[in-house]
Amino acid sequence: MKCYICAEEGKDSDAVAICIVCGMGLCREHAMREETESWEGGYPFPARKLKKSIPRILCPACYEAFHS
Amino acid sequence: MSLLKRCVAEIIGTFLLVFFGAGAAAITLMLASGVETQTEFNIGIGYFGGLADWLAIGLAFGIAIAGAIYALGRISGAHINPAVTIALWASKRFPTGEVAPYIIAQLIGASLASILFFACTGPEAVLIGGLGATAPFHGISYTEAILVEAIGTFLLMLVIMGVAVDKRAPEGFAGLIIGLTVAGVITTTGNIAGSSLNPARTFGPYLGNTLLGGSNLWEFFPIYIIGPIAGALIAVFLYDWLNSE
Repeated sequence: MKCYICAEEGKDSDAVAICIVCGMGLCREHAMREETESWEGGYPFPARKLKKSIPRILCPACYEAFHS
Repeated sequence: MSLLKRCVAEIIGTFLLVFFGAGAAAITLMLASGVETQTEFNIGIGYFGGLADWLAIGLAFGIAIAGAIYALGRISGAHINPAVTIALWASKRFPTGEVAPYIIAQLIGASLASILFFACTGPEAVLIGGLGATAPFHGISYTEAILVEAIGTFLLMLVIMGVAVDKRAPEGFAGLIIGLTVAGVITTTGNIAGSSLNPARTFGPYLGNTLLGGSNLWEFFPIYIIGPIAGALIAVFLYDWLNSE
């Protein structure tokens, strides 16, 4: 799979990741990785934040939409 | 989440339960003030609509409980009831060191609710409504009151186990189902011993009555300690036994 954004720019680069929202193939340069905290438990026990977060990879457009 | 924050959540949750639940009982008594009831078993709650009066009080409790569970459940677990905290501790689901802070927080929340209910409604809330305090009704013995409180809390704890503690339970329903269960238990058993199901729920109005010139009902307090705790303990161990391989 090729990077969609690079392909639009006329470049040819291999994709190393896929945006979890839109499914776009992304090269290392365009993949945006962020950590998502996760919790377990809840009523009737206090929820507990897990020590390890879950990574999420997004394309720049979806990342921008999430943070707008 | 720090223990302090969880205790504050327990204070708020128990406050909501007592302010809106016990408050509904006090308001019903104030509405029925001065009416002639047919028997001593009817103290005014039930004058307007029979069991519908108790259903309304039960729903006030139930909706407040559901709200507290959905709003605060992730923070403290929203036990808002010492019997629930003790049952979870006894079944090794809750740490020993946090039992006393949780119970103290629940008692503080219940007491604040009774005092603020008085502040909102005035002396009649104490003198007529008794701040919604629970006591055995006419003709109900001490033992009968303990038994009915134990049975009511047994059902409450059994439902908590089934819809919340059990990992197989469907998500998102706990608050609604537990609230409705409390409403149902109060509808049936409210006119027997008040259907407290919760030592903190009785403690708040009792303390409020003591501080604000109401009736002294402390002789009945052991009913609302023994009954709910016994019922919750039986439920939690029975549920575990029923689900053991």
